[in-house]
Amino acid sequence: MPKSQYVRASFETCATPQFRVLSQDQCESIFLGALEVLQHTGAEVNSPEALEIYRKGGCRVDGTRVRFPSHLVEWAVRTAPSRITMYDRNGNRSMYLEGQNVYYGPGSANTFTLDPFTGERRRPLKQDTARAAIVSDALSNMDYVEDNGAPMDVTPTLADVHAFQAMVTNTTKPIIHWGFGINQYQDIVDMASACVGGLSELQKRPFLILYSESSPPLRHSSEAIDKALFAAKKDLPCIYTPCIFSGGVAPATMAGSLVVAVADALIGIVAGQLVREGSSFIMGGPISTMDMSSSSLAYGAPELSLLSAGLSNVARYMGIPMFSTAGCSDSKVIDTQLAIEAAFSILVAGLSGANLIHDCNLMDKGVTGSLELTVLDDEIIGMVKRILRGIEVNDDTLAVDVIDHVSPGGHFLGEEHTIERFRDEFWWPTLISRVRYDEWKLYGSKTLGQRVKEKTQEIINEHRAEPLSQKILDQIQAVVDRAEAREASLKSKK
Amino acid sequence: MYNFSDLSKAVIAGQESKVKELTQAAINGGAEPLAIINEGLIAGMNVVGARFKSGEMFVPEVLVAARSMGAGVAMVKPLLLGQEVPSSGKVLIGTVKGDLHDIGKNLVALMLESGGFDVVNLGIDLAPDKFVAAVKEYQPQVIGLSALLTTTMLVMKDVIELLKEEGLRDRVKVIIGGAPISYDFSSEIGADGFAPDAATAVDLCRKLLA
Repeated sequence: MPKSQYVRASFETCATPQFRVLSQDQCESIFLGALEVLQHTGAEVNSPEALEIYRKGGCRVDGTRVRFPSHLVEWAVRTAPSRITMYDRNGNRSMYLEGQNVYYGPGSANTFTLDPFTGERRRPLKQDTARAAIVSDALSNMDYVEDNGAPMDVTPTLADVHAFQAMVTNTTKPIIHWGFGINQYQDIVDMASACVGGLSELQKRPFLILYSESSPPLRHSSEAIDKALFAAKKDLPCIYTPCIFSGGVAPATMAGSLVVAVADALIGIVAGQLVREGSSFIMGGPISTMDMSSSSLAYGAPELSLLSAGLSNVARYMGIPMFSTAGCSDSKVIDTQLAIEAAFSILVAGLSGANLIHDCNLMDKGVTGSLELTVLDDEIIGMVKRILRGIEVNDDTLAVDVIDHVSPGGHFLGEEHTIERFRDEFWWPTLISRVRYDEWKLYGSKTLGQRVKEKTQEIINEHRAEPLSQKILDQIQAVVDRAEAREASLKSKK
Repeated sequence: MYNFSDLSKAVIAGQESKVKELTQAAINGGAEPLAIINEGLIAGMNVVGARFKSGEMFVPEVLVAARSMGAGVAMVKPLLLGQEVPSSGKVLIGTVKGDLHDIGKNLVALMLESGGFDVVNLGIDLAPDKFVAAVKEYQPQVIGLSALLTTTMLVMKDVIELLKEEGLRDRVKVIIGGAPISYDFSSEIGADGFAPDAATAVDLCRKLLA
């Protein structure tokens, strides 16, 4: 697999479509704005361990309020690596989170799921997470896996642990995963280590990214920041993000929202660098407007794409890999609204060059997860990736000799030049229909929604990922059993 | 028994020079000429047809495979000594009067040839009497009419009417195609069939002649 995906074409031809929503100067202004917020206003941090680390690192700590000197933040941005190489479960390199390489995947922790067989909107089960892993494993444009819902048929405080077990046993792709607390993070890391032969192997070739979310604006609970510290101590990559609602937990202006998003990410990055200089952090996270009629985050808003693209520009300016959002919707069903919102955001996120683009499964304001949306997004991503590859211009592709050989009125179908190139030059639809009306009618007049449902069901019924050995499966089960025993004893103490 | 599997594979891959080389080797090795065609060349082309239908192969690859098969058949033909080259049937094809479009029609002709049909490509801008004269001359089992315009597609009906007048309608199947054509139009004017694309046209001819 090529290391540089799309920008390579522009080295040769300057033709790969790219866009920016912020200039270098505007990125600098947003970064400087965040530095000023961190130095003057500071943040509320409710973790004794983090407070001590910040104090020793040179921050001003008054009670739980921490103010960050700009030079310290700038140091942390410099020491955090600008690139992270991710591996699959078999130790093969699969994602180069750097530059403008883009990788898509689903999202996590939704509280409802849309059953792809019954159409029912219901609570997610562990089996749904296994299905999510199977579907992402099967789709070539899904580069990593998330859980598509916190399972609710398991011990509630171990939904994260059970979800990881369901994922890691059903896919070889890299996994991005959240956890309730440090104990669960340890369980998850132990399970991942078991797959590759120990923690040091996992550190060498990570296939797991730990995810932690703070509570904006500028408030970091021990649940959030301690997980960033944990990841840095374990020397594993960490996504540390706030979830920004413009007009709610951030200013109503796009620029002001970006300032809060950057400042809150930096609070995690500084902590991580103070624990271990050079630890791998990824910034970004969902960022959109608060829908002022329902007061919830709008997942299909144009501002989601605009803000995410802007934040990607600032992340690139800072040299920190970016975790962006796309392929999601506010629609409640598989319909036209869903397709419009998903397609728009996938294109914009791809053009923005964000490294990890997540939530290619979330609808209904992120409340409901749908594997059908993941399957639909896979098709849209295929189209977008073709656009991103641009137009290659050289003597071979200009093909003047071929044109001469075919001569006026001929056709190019039988030319060797055509045979050798058409498979790479053209994108091939798998769900989009281009057949003629009569043929479409002949095969049942199926809508896109029906074709998506059929493909989703087919993948769930037929695809199986490369299995783990029984020995590793037993080790993973032992970690889950250990976690269950721990939670049972915690509960009895209460 | 001569083993033709390499020859079939070369046809599937559309490797014309290899097809020629292996055909020559088969001739030199004393293989039965008809067997070279049936079990080697056409057997390979049948695989191509199946893969095309299942979406594993595409039009350009089918054309190249057909071309390589044709090169092999041309080498064996002189050795047949009066035996006929196996054919799926004879098809006349042309674009109707007033219409100069021919890329689609030519594609249908190529796909039919690759499906083992003998194809007589009459060209473009053909009045009904030209089709009738050609039917008399070539005695085809099928004629294919093509049109791209809503104004010219009505000529298709005239062709069918003239075939009736001349008493030829029962002797030949009429199939039609082109961007403005539909199943409904096809039954309206009394054609025997309509194919929405070149690949389906091959299936249609097979079905009509079965």
